[in-house]
Amino acid sequence: MGERVFITGVGMITAIGDDVQQNLEHLLTARSGLGVTDYVDTIHRNILPVAEVKHSDVELAAMAGLPDNKGYSRTTLLGLVAIQEALRNAGIADPQEVPTGLVNATTVGGMVETERHYFTLTDPAREGEMMPVADLLDCGDCSQRIADTVHIDEFVTTISTACSSSANALMLGARMIKQGLLSRAVCGGTEALTRFTINGFNSLKNTDRQPCRPFDQQRNGLNLGEGAAYLVLESESLVQQRGATVLAELTGYANTNEAFHATSPSPEGDGALAAMGEAIEMGGLTPQDVQYINVHGTATLTNDASEGKALQRLFGKAVPPFSSTKPFTGHTLAAAGAVEAIFAVLAIREQVIFPNLNFSEKMEELDIIPQTTLRHAPIQHVLSNSFGFGGNNASLVISKF
Amino acid sequence: MKFQCYIQSSCAISPQHTFQQDIFSEALQTTDTNMLQAWQPSYAGLIPPNSLRRMSKALKMGLAAASQCLAEGGIANPGAIITGTGKGSLQDMEKFIKDIQTYHETALNPTQFIQSTFNAVNGLIALQQQNTQYNNTFVHRGLSFESALLDALLQLSAGKHHVLLGGFDEVTPDQFQIKSHSGWWKQEKIHSAALLQHLSPGTIAGEGAVFFLLANQPGDHPAASIEGMKLLHKPSSHKLDTALQQFLDEHALQPGHIDLLMSGRNGDSNYQHFYDQVAQALPGIPEVSFKPLCGEYDTAHAFGLWLAAQMIKAGKAPQQWFPAGTVFPKAYRTVLLYNQYYGEQHAFILLKKAL
Amino acid sequence: MTIEALKQQLKEQIIEALNLQDTRPADIDDNAPLFGEGLGLDSIDSLELMVLLERNYQIKVEDPREGRKILQSVQSMAEFILAQQLA
Repeated sequence: MGERVFITGVGMITAIGDDVQQNLEHLLTARSGLGVTDYVDTIHRNILPVAEVKHSDVELAAMAGLPDNKGYSRTTLLGLVAIQEALRNAGIADPQEVPTGLVNATTVGGMVETERHYFTLTDPAREGEMMPVADLLDCGDCSQRIADTVHIDEFVTTISTACSSSANALMLGARMIKQGLLSRAVCGGTEALTRFTINGFNSLKNTDRQPCRPFDQQRNGLNLGEGAAYLVLESESLVQQRGATVLAELTGYANTNEAFHATSPSPEGDGALAAMGEAIEMGGLTPQDVQYINVHGTATLTNDASEGKALQRLFGKAVPPFSSTKPFTGHTLAAAGAVEAIFAVLAIREQVIFPNLNFSEKMEELDIIPQTTLRHAPIQHVLSNSFGFGGNNASLVISKF
Repeated sequence: MKFQCYIQSSCAISPQHTFQQDIFSEALQTTDTNMLQAWQPSYAGLIPPNSLRRMSKALKMGLAAASQCLAEGGIANPGAIITGTGKGSLQDMEKFIKDIQTYHETALNPTQFIQSTFNAVNGLIALQQQNTQYNNTFVHRGLSFESALLDALLQLSAGKHHVLLGGFDEVTPDQFQIKSHSGWWKQEKIHSAALLQHLSPGTIAGEGAVFFLLANQPGDHPAASIEGMKLLHKPSSHKLDTALQQFLDEHALQPGHIDLLMSGRNGDSNYQHFYDQVAQALPGIPEVSFKPLCGEYDTAHAFGLWLAAQMIKAGKAPQQWFPAGTVFPKAYRTVLLYNQYYGEQHAFILLKKAL
Repeated sequence: MTIEALKQQLKEQIIEALNLQDTRPADIDDNAPLFGEGLGLDSIDSLELMVLLERNYQIKVEDPREGRKILQSVQSMAEFILAQQLA
């Protein structure tokens, strides 16, 4: 149905690098971005590892080419750094030359600034006093500011489906291209570490005090991360018309809901199975065509058990090499789907499978273990999973062009 | 792009008595607090007690309106569940922020964190209906609902037979306070029924949850069909005119074909000129505004769409809700909706009587 | 505090914390399972009950698996609290 959708540009910033190349170097040399937060004011600072981008807001603003950071949330600044790289990478100087949309994703918008000023903002004595920070919490704020700064005005929207947000952003962009509404969509997500989210996941008792151990018997939860990542999607006809370089093709995707629990996946991975199966089918592929799976792999007790079961159900005895890259970047929530989609593009470009760090002991309920070392292999199709609260599951298939 | 999209059923929880009521006889609900709060139905019987006990207002309104809409449409499992919300469950987000402060980041209940997630309502609907299909949530301020509608139109044209579409937002005292720092509300307290007569900076706040069951086939008794939508970001006055003209052209409409302009006019003198401009481009077309009924909020346009669909379906207006002297059309076949959000986000939606 | 008084207090606190609107303390059997069948509570409630222990009894349960054992019933909760207070 509709046109083929190509990935023609990628841009990112995470704890393991300010751009795609730096991220790749860390992946290839197995250097994790987990550490201690310098920017979030929290009592968990020395207890819970996080993967933080080591730049202040002022530095990020400079990297984004802004005179200062006034009026921009950290979420927006991270997003700007990443999207500018993606547009440069795609060779797009003026996004308005063809109808270009921005589909952005975030889980808490400008919470960093809101939580800092909340009690001033809600002080009745100050009602009516103008305060620019009052608008930052709205999730749409970061998308709109990013769009305005890079001059995208044809279509802008924001998706928030927890940890699958930016995978869904990529899907919407691809569908708008396939259905002829846009010829180009820049899709991805941005997420800043906040005290709100750190305490949120900690209250669910699924944050590990050690670097996270995806698919390990001793895993004990996730580590949060921050960052932003965007991919430029273009229709086949636009790619041909402007002679753009294709990095990879987005061949399949699926969004399913687990309808099991507000935060927990079903024990047998029904939702994960459905999302992966449908994405592979949409790409006109069979499970045997997949050479690498970048799993969701948050290292929570329930995710890895459920996702692992789903892998075994879908691939049977022939589960392809898989790894979670969350020990590198932390769980970047709304950005994770796009971060990992770029890792899929890199896996294809470099013909490598990235290692799953911190693994030592097979999970007793599974027969499979992740890829623990960097491995060179022919990679044609990569499956990338993002599963979230609310049962929101998403899988993408990214293919070599 | 043209779409086949029929409203099979709908449900609104709003400051008016709209939930399972005859809106053509219900009295107008008003406030003089500048904050129109939704009239809450009894949720027992609509939501299982074990779920209800933890839920905040936004979640209850959203889940109840969604369930009722599906029940009335006779479709338990639509092919997609798509919502828009500007703010999500504010009560939960606020409580969690305050608890972090009060308990110094220790001993925190996860419930508020979970429920503050913007897709919490979608997850609850899917869980309640045991619906495992496409599920998405848009959070783009004044175009949150419209983004969800666009996704719904795409899903229908890609072959889904039914889509559950919703828009919901709640107002809280904290949020009211916060947005006062952006100059959103009138300084003077006014009577909501007289909102449009009080032209001054700012407007009044509102809230609600509105759901639609959309289908790609007319079915037996469609309320109306959604013909198309046009979204604009910070348009110049010239761009707004051009966009309206193009939108009408795309749908082969002369201004005279439009029976009613349903506008989001809200008495805010800062942005009144946009509504004036659209009204002037449609000379002689009766205009009614839905904001005195529901207040201003990110997804208020969903209420406007719901009201317009009710009017088309019944062939009449709940005239008691509008100021004396309002001119109503003779027929309700074609309604153009126009709403803008603080000057930045603008949307046209075209609604027609289904043939 | 006697174990009987503690159990009564716990029941009131559980009802309040979990907003069990139609439940009275007398409706909760000391030994009835709180989760699944009994009161029909779920994993989020179990986290909330751990918060209750922390806020009201200064008892921190780190491991959710351990929490599950303590939170089997009002009886097991009361016994655990008393044991902690003696320790």
